[in-house]
Amino acid sequence: MPTVRLRDASEYPESARRLFELSRQWFDYDFKEPPAMSRVMAWDPHFGGPHGRAMKRAMAPGEFSRGEKEMVAAAVSGVNACTY
Amino acid sequence: MTGDDRWYEAAFVVGITNALNVVADGLGGAPMRQVEPEMAPAEVRTIFADIRAFYGTGGPAADVLGGEIPMPFGLVAHDPGYLADVWAAVRRAFSERRLTRRHKEALAFAVSLTTRSAFGTAFHLAQLRRLGVGERGVMEIVGVTQMFSSYTKIADTLQLASDMADIAPPDASGVPDPGAE
Repeated sequence: MPTVRLRDASEYPESARRLFELSRQWFDYDFKEPPAMSRVMAWDPHFGGPHGRAMKRAMAPGEFSRGEKEMVAAAVSGVNACTY
Repeated sequence: MTGDDRWYEAAFVVGITNALNVVADGLGGAPMRQVEPEMAPAEVRTIFADIRAFYGTGGPAADVLGGEIPMPFGLVAHDPGYLADVWAAVRRAFSERRLTRRHKEALAFAVSLTTRSAFGTAFHLAQLRRLGVGERGVMEIVGVTQMFSSYTKIADTLQLASDMADIAPPDASGVPDPGAE
């Protein structure tokens, strides 16, 4: 049970809903609702915006592919014992 | 990155990396001497030679190794049979199969950084460089590690349930991994 009530996408302003569309494109998956983390980050765009840009910059293909980086991210999450 | 075999390989890299780091970081400062190659019995010297060949010598790797044998192997070499099995597992885990050696070193570097392993972070950073990964590539792994160390703690603090666990299609290739050596 989350500590906070996660708002539905419809409860967010239009600017946040545009970000949810970018999130859908990033994951290339049609969620019924935007991922919980996207909705959390949209709660404060002044935090979530730069945090998301830093993530996308780090995850973009470079010397390592996006797929390789997703696996690194999964390993880091596993070591942090995070099931999300 | 689909296919369960890749994830098995990644998990083995993560696990054995943590095992090496625990010994190196935990016993490195303790009054326990490493087995010196010159004083080692023949069976240990043979394994040490294989370790040297696998990790390479010279350049930044040698600086980190503080000699030629990575600390965790020198420490467990007091039991040659145990060393042989640990090394066989490490060698298997880090050998190039479905995942490249370079990618495996990136995983090990990220795990070492996340667990604050001084030995592992320096060791796998040196290995990444030895394998040709540039500063940009290193920074990419640092960035991924840092950002997902943030996401995971935000998710845990808010006790978020995963909404992506079912995205990956089931792997129908079967196990065990039939992949080439």
